Amino acid sequence: MTTALFIQLVVNGLVKGSTFILIVLGLDIILRGTKILNFAHGQFYMLGAYTLFMFCRLWHVNFLLSLVLSGLALVLVGALSYLSVFGVVQRRFTATTPFTYRLLMSAMASVGLMLILQQGTLIAFGTAERGMPSIFPQIITFGDVRLSLEKILIILFSMFICFGLYLLMYKTKLGLAMRTVSFDPEIASLQGINSFWIFMICFALGSALAGVAGGVIAPVFAVTPTMGTHIIFTAFLVLLVGGIGSYKGAILGGVLVGLALSFGFHFLGGISELFVFVFVIIILIFKPGGILGEVLD
Amino acid sequence: MALLEIRNLKKYFSGLAAVNDVGFSVNDGEIVGLIGPNGAGKTTLFNLISGFHPPDQGKVIFAGEDITALRADQVARKGIGRTFQASTLFMQSTVFSNVFSAFYRQYRQPGWKAFLHTPKVKREEQAIRKAAMDILEFMGLAALGGELATNLPHGHQRALGICIALATEPRLLLLDEPLTGMNPSETMEIVRKIRQIQEKGITILLVEHNMRAVMDLCDRITVLNYGRKIAEGTPERIRKNREVTEAYLGREEA
Amino acid sequence: MGKSLINRKMSKNRLIFGGMVLAALVLLPLAVKNAYMVHLFIMAFIGIVLGMTFSMLFSAGLITLGAGAFYAIGAYGSTLLSTRLGLSFWAALPLSTLITGIVALAIGSIIVRHPGMAFTIISLLFAHVVIQAAGQIEFFGGWGGIIGVERPDPLGPIQFTTKTSFYYLILFLLLLTALVFHALYTSRIGRIWRAIKLSPPLAETLGINLYRYRLLAFVIASSAAGMAGSFYAHYFQMITPEAFGGWLSIYIQLYAVLGGLEFYILGPAIGAVIMTFVPEYLRIAKEMEPIITGVFLLVIILFFSGGILGTLQRFWTAKKTSVLSGKEQL
Repeated sequence: MTTALFIQLVVNGLVKGSTFILIVLGLDIILRGTKILNFAHGQFYMLGAYTLFMFCRLWHVNFLLSLVLSGLALVLVGALSYLSVFGVVQRRFTATTPFTYRLLMSAMASVGLMLILQQGTLIAFGTAERGMPSIFPQIITFGDVRLSLEKILIILFSMFICFGLYLLMYKTKLGLAMRTVSFDPEIASLQGINSFWIFMICFALGSALAGVAGGVIAPVFAVTPTMGTHIIFTAFLVLLVGGIGSYKGAILGGVLVGLALSFGFHFLGGISELFVFVFVIIILIFKPGGILGEVLD
Repeated sequence: MALLEIRNLKKYFSGLAAVNDVGFSVNDGEIVGLIGPNGAGKTTLFNLISGFHPPDQGKVIFAGEDITALRADQVARKGIGRTFQASTLFMQSTVFSNVFSAFYRQYRQPGWKAFLHTPKVKREEQAIRKAAMDILEFMGLAALGGELATNLPHGHQRALGICIALATEPRLLLLDEPLTGMNPSETMEIVRKIRQIQEKGITILLVEHNMRAVMDLCDRITVLNYGRKIAEGTPERIRKNREVTEAYLGREEA
Repeated sequence: MGKSLINRKMSKNRLIFGGMVLAALVLLPLAVKNAYMVHLFIMAFIGIVLGMTFSMLFSAGLITLGAGAFYAIGAYGSTLLSTRLGLSFWAALPLSTLITGIVALAIGSIIVRHPGMAFTIISLLFAHVVIQAAGQIEFFGGWGGIIGVERPDPLGPIQFTTKTSFYYLILFLLLLTALVFHALYTSRIGRIWRAIKLSPPLAETLGINLYRYRLLAFVIASSAAGMAGSFYAHYFQMITPEAFGGWLSIYIQLYAVLGGLEFYILGPAIGAVIMTFVPEYLRIAKEMEPIITGVFLLVIILFFSGGILGTLQRFWTAKKTSVLSGKEQL
């Protein structure tokens, strides 16, 4: 294998990884904050891609602005979802109902939402793939290696978002409130934190992350109504690899799975995905908490 | 004869020692109190003894047997019962169901016979029903048999927790703050019951914040602070121990 | 004394009602001549079995999204046994059920150790992996699947040439499964599952080995799903990976939730029947079906979380002042 190829594969892997990282961080934030297992998350990713497509391609808005708008749109979608569905579910099933029940109810609610969003988008936009021309078609060359600028930017962008998240969670009051609520909602309310708003913010933020992942990836890969369902499995895989509820795990897991898929696909084709999944399940035997071993339950 | 012996027990959580080199023993038939300011590691210690967390170091020896590495259900089967701080009950079941379920191990007749409701099965079930009712009566909950556990007031839920633990016919009973949230008359009742449980021959290890009750009930007391044992002895000695008073006062000021 | 009389009367009424339903089901093919209707009943019965597997795991406190996986394993196992090894259906059925059980034992022993959310996610991924494997590996027929699965050999005078004979076969399998499951639920094992579901730590203090009983539920439930898969393969006479993937595992959950989660046998029964027949009668455009299902699901979760039977039960107990109702038990 030539160095050029190797670097190409690494970059591809990191691009995929970046997508996973953003999506799974979103899942983790929702999970940790609201204890909801959000099966509609893939649909938020898809909606991010579609809204970006609408703003940028159909309404000819500047790409960067479109990305921001699409992120905001997903914040809105997330907040609305919480208000109309999950908030109600959470209030109905309080701490006295067994954990199993609560988990199931909110998970099933998210499944309902998933069905609606998925099919709704399919009906609205049709099954056709939507393409977008590259925003940054330039190619960077050094030596033998040719890398698309777009991909580098995606990786950098994700790192930027991760850093921003870190600042938010650990350096701001809001972040502290979010972390307190995840740790123990009762203590949080004793401290005067309004859990309901925090839950909603967690959900909105998580959705926006998925949406942004979709928006950023839209120019690179095709936009289809089923992209959400395709990616959610791998997202859950990354979630398990990194450990449920672990942010660092999400990042590490995303990178590893992205790289594994990138290299795997090159050498083995479509079946590589299968191998990665099986491999991870085997790893879970020995390291049940994921790589960083932080199991949330 | 020491029924329970704790030796050099250590447990770390995220680098912090929740239990740091704790050792003491509980003799057969005693009521031993485990006290200390909040966060001193008492409940963690309970979790270590009852098998819910494995200790990082040290040993737990019960009736001469090393049970350190055993799982919670294995420890329970050795004859250690416990209650929990939070109301850990079968909330969606009735009070009677809760206690009745605790006897599941007494079923001797095999499953297929149970399905056919043979006379032996019926007799066994009757016996267990009676045993469950006896316990409920003992703790004063007999009249509430048909209530859902989740509807009970806090004090009764605690009592129900004790009933469930008693149903497992333990040799050692770990009571985790049984008096929390009870009014003075309820407290007196439960203190009486705890003494009666001791009279039945059950050894008790008690975590409690209510100092009067602790001084009243316990034959000996162990005091923890920041995960370490700072004192051990009879209630008299502990009452006079300055380090103990400081531990509590110091916490209050902080 | 008065209460037990009421309970006995209720049980008697229930028995009579149940008997009538049973008689109706047995006589049904004589009344219904439309082959498509019979087909729907057959699919509904399969759905009931699958729904019951979800409920069994739920009864032990586990939420599975992997029922589709074992349904598939049973189907593929049975198909391969009969097409590659030439076994008759009557041998393939028990064998593939056994094989599914063994796979469940292997997989379960790993994933049952991670209860809660991790289990649900892994079960989902496992189902995904199974479907992908079936599609990507040529040995399993790839995405085109396997065709030409043999009908069951005649059983005495019964030929399996019409849908009617399949109807009775699946009805028999369904009733058998329901009976076995009911026996389990009313036994000591069922009590233990309930304890585990309501409060795992409390169950442990009673000396219950959580892992062992969860694994038991997993293996039994998955085997039943495998059995259903075997039937499906020989009924449909062909299998494709898509038949087991997609929204299937989700619909299976929905059967249980719709009927009533606390009713481990009747819940899935009602849910599966409704979900199979109602879309047919409403003539909804194929496109809208998932949306309607989604909305329906949300409505149930938000307003009728007890499902149909649960909501009915609440009406019933509200009418009576007694706290002890028939279903709420040990």
